[in-house]
Amino acid sequence: MNAATVSANTPARRRLLQALAAAAAAAAASLGAPAWARPAQAADFAARIGGQPLLTPFKGVDDRSGDLDSGPLLLRGRWPDELRGRFYRNGPALYERAGDRYHHWFDGDGMVQQFTLDGGRVSHRGRLVRTAKLQAEQQAGRFLMSALGTHIEGGPPAGGPDAFNVANTNALEHAGRVLALWEGGSAYALDPRDLSTQGPVTWRADLQQVPFSAHPKVDAAGHLWNIGTSGASIVAWHVDPQGRLAGVQAGESPYPDGMVHDMAVTERYLVVPLPPVSLDFGRAVPEGPRRFALKPGEPLRVLVMEKADIRRRRVFELPPQMVFHVGNAHEAADGRLVLSFVAAPDAWFLDQAAVAMMAGQSPAAGGSALQIATLDLRSGQARVQALPGYVEFPRIDPRRIGLPARWLVTGAAWRPYEGRSHALLHGVQVLDTHSGRARRFDYGPAAVVEEHIVVPKPGRTGELDAWLLGTTFDARRQATVLNLLDAAHVEDGPIAQAVLPRALPLGFHGNFTAA
Amino acid sequence: MNLNRTLSLLLLAAAGPAFAQTSPPGCATVEVHPVRPRQGHLMVAAYGSAESFGKQPLAALRLPAGEDRMTFQLCGLTGASVALTLYQDLDSDGQMARNLMGIPTEPWGSSGTAGPFGPSWSTGAVPLDGKVIVVKMSS
Repeated sequence: MNAATVSANTPARRRLLQALAAAAAAAAASLGAPAWARPAQAADFAARIGGQPLLTPFKGVDDRSGDLDSGPLLLRGRWPDELRGRFYRNGPALYERAGDRYHHWFDGDGMVQQFTLDGGRVSHRGRLVRTAKLQAEQQAGRFLMSALGTHIEGGPPAGGPDAFNVANTNALEHAGRVLALWEGGSAYALDPRDLSTQGPVTWRADLQQVPFSAHPKVDAAGHLWNIGTSGASIVAWHVDPQGRLAGVQAGESPYPDGMVHDMAVTERYLVVPLPPVSLDFGRAVPEGPRRFALKPGEPLRVLVMEKADIRRRRVFELPPQMVFHVGNAHEAADGRLVLSFVAAPDAWFLDQAAVAMMAGQSPAAGGSALQIATLDLRSGQARVQALPGYVEFPRIDPRRIGLPARWLVTGAAWRPYEGRSHALLHGVQVLDTHSGRARRFDYGPAAVVEEHIVVPKPGRTGELDAWLLGTTFDARRQATVLNLLDAAHVEDGPIAQAVLPRALPLGFHGNFTAA
Repeated sequence: MNLNRTLSLLLLAAAGPAFAQTSPPGCATVEVHPVRPRQGHLMVAAYGSAESFGKQPLAALRLPAGEDRMTFQLCGLTGASVALTLYQDLDSDGQMARNLMGIPTEPWGSSGTAGPFGPSWSTGAVPLDGKVIVVKMSS
């Protein structure tokens, strides 16, 4: 038996009180998941999905089916012998527990898919990321933590942002480990040999749970650049090609509490779009649409920070619009920055489409389009050129990240297929940013097209000396297909395909690592 | 608050339910879990009202972290309700550790329905009625 006595007014007690009060305030301000809607019901989705064959992947996986070893896949066409490596994709995958179901696509626990391309053979493996959240909920047999769009009652205290971390947005192999990335917390490391989860990455002791966002950019030399945001803070990360922390800087965000999803790099700058959308973490809001909306009167900000010292920065103001993804940025010869990004006139996708599809409902009309902004660092003036067409998931030749790139690859939707809106992409396009002309391939009305990435052909240097590699969901077969196209002849369609024996959950982003 | 009040702690290495029913007046049995075993100290504060929450505690304690589930008696409590806040000072430096962004990184907990967003009087207040006060810590 131990005993301890603390006097009422000792310095130790005062420190204790100060720490607790400060911790309470900080926790309330900086921990986050929303109090939005209570869970949906799995049975309601099951009853509705029968009439929506394009949306069946939104059923997701469970703890058992979330670990998949598909083995060698059924192949079509000819997979090039020289294409060898690992293609990773990540996305929300587990949506239901104990009859409860998430409302929002972005809520689901992440699952990393690994396609291994080896001398004409293609195999697949998928693993749920064993986050602290997933493990706790597996043990409890129910959801414990609130998510972006679903409020869960009665959860335990959150020990920081990683209590909510679903590691579901992007997957990137860098310096020998796979990083499963999410916007609001740590990267989770996975073993590339078997996709086993190694745990959250703490780059330095005082950086525990500092957000490491989901769209880092790796330049041609292998240096990884990233940002992280929380409340009024923004952090800039630099990881060297060996996977060591080379630098971290903290500053103030010009739009606190905003949603910051993607970023670009140039040789000297980090370029971060800040759409005027707040996530309302921690604040009770009524169930229903319009939870996410552009804040009236607020512009789309673009924060440009010097890599060497992020205090040297400039904030550009562009017309109000929603931005998830950037294509690229580079420094033009006249010193101006050129930034390509995909934007929508409102937060329709985040607010409504991503909820409708999870409910087994076809999303209403809407779409996003490519824009190219020219940012004058001397004058602070910005000029924006909008390009026609509904697109998402912009990618470029990875060797040109931060450098001038002529060709930009996106998923696209242009045909008015019955029963589907442009929220579901049906094609892939290669855009010539010099002429504005695009070449496209249409996978057809029964396909949902996911992100296609650019994989340079070994030993070649031209931007179009590359393959496009990406997945589609074939609603007729109810199966996921891995597609390979020649970037120079996209309109010819896939030169090779690998067909899975099942449908994978629709995912977000991925990257290729050559063997 | 009474500056002469001395706040006593009786830490029970192996407390049982029988003890929980026998708290003397002004005291409560507190059960805390999960505790990171033998890492640093538990820092405990008890508040008696919404007005005093986070400012003027009825009682405050600092005690060495024991096993995963700790039970102890907290005295110096008055009124009909009380809200407890705790954090585990893993490095025993007397303050809640924070990362570069100021986000707390040491485990914390609260009485009542702590919820994920930090302690408050409205979620943390429980009746001071002799029953065990359970505090669930973040992991």
